[in-house]
Amino acid sequence: MISFLLKGILRDRSRSLLPVIVVSLGVFLTIVMSAWIKGIFSEVIDMNAKFTTGHVKVMTRVYAENSNQMPLDLALLGVNELKQNLEKDYTDMEWVCRINFGGLLDVPDKNGETRAQGPAAGKAIDFFNNPKEVERMNIVKSIVDGTIPKKPGEAIISHEFAEKFGLGLGQKVTLFGSTMNGSMLFKTFTVCGTIRFGVTMLDRGAILIDISDAQLALDMENGSTEMLGFFNDGEYDKLKATEVVDAFNTKYSKQNDEFSPQMFRLEQQAGLEEYLAMAENMGGIMITFFIIAMSIVLWNTGLLGGLRRYTEYGIRLALGEEKKHIYMTMIYEAILIGIIGSIIGTVLGLGMSYYLQEVGVDFSDITKNINMMIPPIYRAAIYPDLFYIGFIPGLVAMTLGNALVR
Amino acid sequence: MLAIKLAFKNLLGAGLRTWLNVIVLSFAFVLIIFYNGMIDGWNRQARNDTQNWEIGSGQFWHPAYDRFDPYTIAESNAVISKDIQDLIDDDKLTPVLIRQATLYPQGRLQSVLIKGVDPNQKVLELPTADIQNSQNKYAAIIGKQMAKSTKLNVGDKVLMRWRDKNGTFDAHEIEIVSIFKCDVPTVDNGNIYLDIKTLQDMTTLQDQATMLVAHREYENTKLEGWEHKNLGFLLAEFDKIIESKKGSGLILQSILLILAMLAIFDTQVLSIFRRQKEIGTYIALGLTRAKVVGIFTVEGAAHSILAAIVGAIYGVPLFIYLSKNGIYYGTSAQDAGMNIPMAETLYPYYSVGLVITSIIIVVVAATIVSYLPARKISKMKPTQALKGKIQ
Amino acid sequence: MKKIAIAIFTSLTLSLTAQTADEILIKVDKNMSADNRIVESSMTDNRIVESSMTIHGKRNSRTMTSRSYSVGDKKSFTEYLSPAREKGTKMLKLEDKLWIYSPSTDRTIKISGHMLRQSVMGSDFSYEDMMDDRKLTDIYTATIINEEEIEGRKTKVLKLVAKVSDVAYHSRKVWIDTERFVPLKEELFAKSGQLLKRSTLSDVKKLQGKWFAMKIVYKDMLKQGKGTEMHISSIKFNQKIPSYIFTKAALKQ
Repeated sequence: MISFLLKGILRDRSRSLLPVIVVSLGVFLTIVMSAWIKGIFSEVIDMNAKFTTGHVKVMTRVYAENSNQMPLDLALLGVNELKQNLEKDYTDMEWVCRINFGGLLDVPDKNGETRAQGPAAGKAIDFFNNPKEVERMNIVKSIVDGTIPKKPGEAIISHEFAEKFGLGLGQKVTLFGSTMNGSMLFKTFTVCGTIRFGVTMLDRGAILIDISDAQLALDMENGSTEMLGFFNDGEYDKLKATEVVDAFNTKYSKQNDEFSPQMFRLEQQAGLEEYLAMAENMGGIMITFFIIAMSIVLWNTGLLGGLRRYTEYGIRLALGEEKKHIYMTMIYEAILIGIIGSIIGTVLGLGMSYYLQEVGVDFSDITKNINMMIPPIYRAAIYPDLFYIGFIPGLVAMTLGNALVR
Repeated sequence: MLAIKLAFKNLLGAGLRTWLNVIVLSFAFVLIIFYNGMIDGWNRQARNDTQNWEIGSGQFWHPAYDRFDPYTIAESNAVISKDIQDLIDDDKLTPVLIRQATLYPQGRLQSVLIKGVDPNQKVLELPTADIQNSQNKYAAIIGKQMAKSTKLNVGDKVLMRWRDKNGTFDAHEIEIVSIFKCDVPTVDNGNIYLDIKTLQDMTTLQDQATMLVAHREYENTKLEGWEHKNLGFLLAEFDKIIESKKGSGLILQSILLILAMLAIFDTQVLSIFRRQKEIGTYIALGLTRAKVVGIFTVEGAAHSILAAIVGAIYGVPLFIYLSKNGIYYGTSAQDAGMNIPMAETLYPYYSVGLVITSIIIVVVAATIVSYLPARKISKMKPTQALKGKIQ
Repeated sequence: MKKIAIAIFTSLTLSLTAQTADEILIKVDKNMSADNRIVESSMTDNRIVESSMTIHGKRNSRTMTSRSYSVGDKKSFTEYLSPAREKGTKMLKLEDKLWIYSPSTDRTIKISGHMLRQSVMGSDFSYEDMMDDRKLTDIYTATIINEEEIEGRKTKVLKLVAKVSDVAYHSRKVWIDTERFVPLKEELFAKSGQLLKRSTLSDVKKLQGKWFAMKIVYKDMLKQGKGTEMHISSIKFNQKIPSYIFTKAALKQ
């Protein structure tokens, strides 16, 4: 019978087309909406994770306590081995080293003497080998001129600084400060790009270099101030993170060694614990509301589908078909339409969500003159529930709508 | 008039279907208003807090001062003139002297800004009076976040080192006499508040200040020797955040709107399909096709009116409740390590403008989607329609 | 680093060259400064000091050696000899200006403003500590406040209180061995009387007829840690120091 009904649905466009379109559209909207809400509510988390905290972060115990001073001398050492171990232990995570440092940017005149100088905040990430890091820090989009560092000795500096001191691409700037050991840090970089973060503090003076350059310059061979861990699916999972953190700290962190590594979860670092719970509730409530609303719409569609065919039912009754049978075929039809519509809607919805997740919506035209660290690009986030969530309005509500038509 | 009357009659007559649509539409209404209200509420609250705690109706800076460049602080102070002192005595302005210092909590070291404030000031909400209640000359107040990061409690003493105006080192224990809670991170993080007289003594900067904060009621943009900084300048970074949040809300609202419109469109298509006899009758009765299209369009659009009413029935109490009791976020943004002013409890703000705009948008959208299927009517042949023949 | 050595050294020396009634300071000054004022007219009190400085960090300690040339209090030139990383790094101080040259980058950087307040190579000195080249007797009024014994040596305790306003340390206490006229300890105080820094001098030796403390431990009392140690391995007085040494061009050589 199902194949008979299916044929009917496929051949009688008036029976199928509009309901399927409506159901698909409804399911599509449900999925996109859910992914979008998830995306914007997790944006704070995401931004924190990408820029500062990672999903988890490893620092030395003592660095963690003093992290607001950025004490290079308390940095983590032996990071290569640690990274290898972590990669082995957690195959679904990516581990990256970053170094935060401070210093003075000194612009030379033609004799190599100071022409101008200003304080700068520095950040070193893996520019050369890890495009994902560059993406995470949203560097390419924030660059005003030039490119990211491609070879040793290249640096991105803040655009404002470059303009103020008449520093163009290809020109030299010296980073002066102190190394991990407290030795004098002197390292000249070629400006390969200028950047604007939209954060006044950073835009006054910032330098971004490759981690290998930083390790060399800062006497931090095989060291970094922090190692960040990211789940490969990009999604922060508190339970998983807790497990990872507990296991790691039991294995590596020694109470009596202040330089032993210690791992922290995202919320532990940023105090995001409650915000996270709240965002989840809030998002949950909004999604629930939406699903209810969409269910009503599709229920309605189901109702309409039934109403539309009163005449047909009349004829079928007159032909001697049993009421119950008619009713059953109607329900089956609704289920089929619901399934077809939900599948189409889910596939399209996931596709759209994926697009919104990867590409995002760029609001920079609307919000022009606004430069944010995270520029006004908003993204959706795909999460597992999306694979079935659309079936609630799509299948259940639709069928229910038909069922109640009697 | 007829069209409207008819529309409501027809709608109410349709019973369940109408109400389902109306409920969906009302959800869209309520959610759109809810979201915007949340952002507006946050915006107002944050501005309000920032004004009350930090910037009043604006600040007057020493010309050398730059809040983003701590190196300017050493050079950014000037003597408060007699005229300005009169304004201060009138509670129109309050002076703040800013200097850098190093704090040594538990053998660690932390750079801080010391802000000298007038204990009697009435311009800002800072509980500066607490400073005066203490016998200790070096009584200080700090924010909750600062207390957390320095691990200091009320009654604790901590060594602070600073330099006077000539660069001579000085150091003394300061005593934390109270800890305030403020949702403006720039007021809290890294700041220590002392009596301005004490700080002037400490730094040999008698009668000097780095900036003057204007009372919220005091509107003035010119003071000889000081640079006025208006709210637009002082809140620029925050405004950017709000703008971008509004941007992200647009998508949400569009999806909600599409959902609601989907419901109406669907209904319209069906009613026009099912009510051909009625349409034929109208035309037969002498109504022009345009008029009939009008009737159906109004009918569809009327959903949105009903939705506004239904939305108001449950939305208004909900919004009143929320704006009174707020939405508890459990943690303020700065506890969460974000450098934006945002309180633990957010009180949404629903402005008349917001409600009216939302209603207009929904009604216009509803009218458009009602009109699109109704256009079909103008192509109908009345005779066929009367017979109920599907066209 | 050498620079620092010199700074401490000179500051102590000079702090002891009291101007007023204070014979002790004068004698200390005499002991420590170079004799031959007549010979070099333009270059009095010049010296070449080789020293090593050990900085105790939280994790490890580093020792670096340097050679410093100085003439009077206003000019000095320091070149780092080891370790490899610092070798060739040079500092030039002329009056109140300071430049640092790094051979690896071939850059000369001027240290000014707030940079002067930074620690020098992670030590307990700031650049500023090395920069104040005024005679202590010019900026402080000295009085004897006590007599104490340090490591079996009799000392007089002098209290120096600033008589000008633009000094980093409002007062100092100096313990001076009254036989050898060598300071054995010095403490630097904030205006409030809070102890900020302490240096302890030991290993006193006679060099070319003068007594010198060859070891100095310098400690920022507000910071945790073991402080910074300095050992002087040699001091030569009245050497011919070519004047081009005290030019920026010399940094690059």
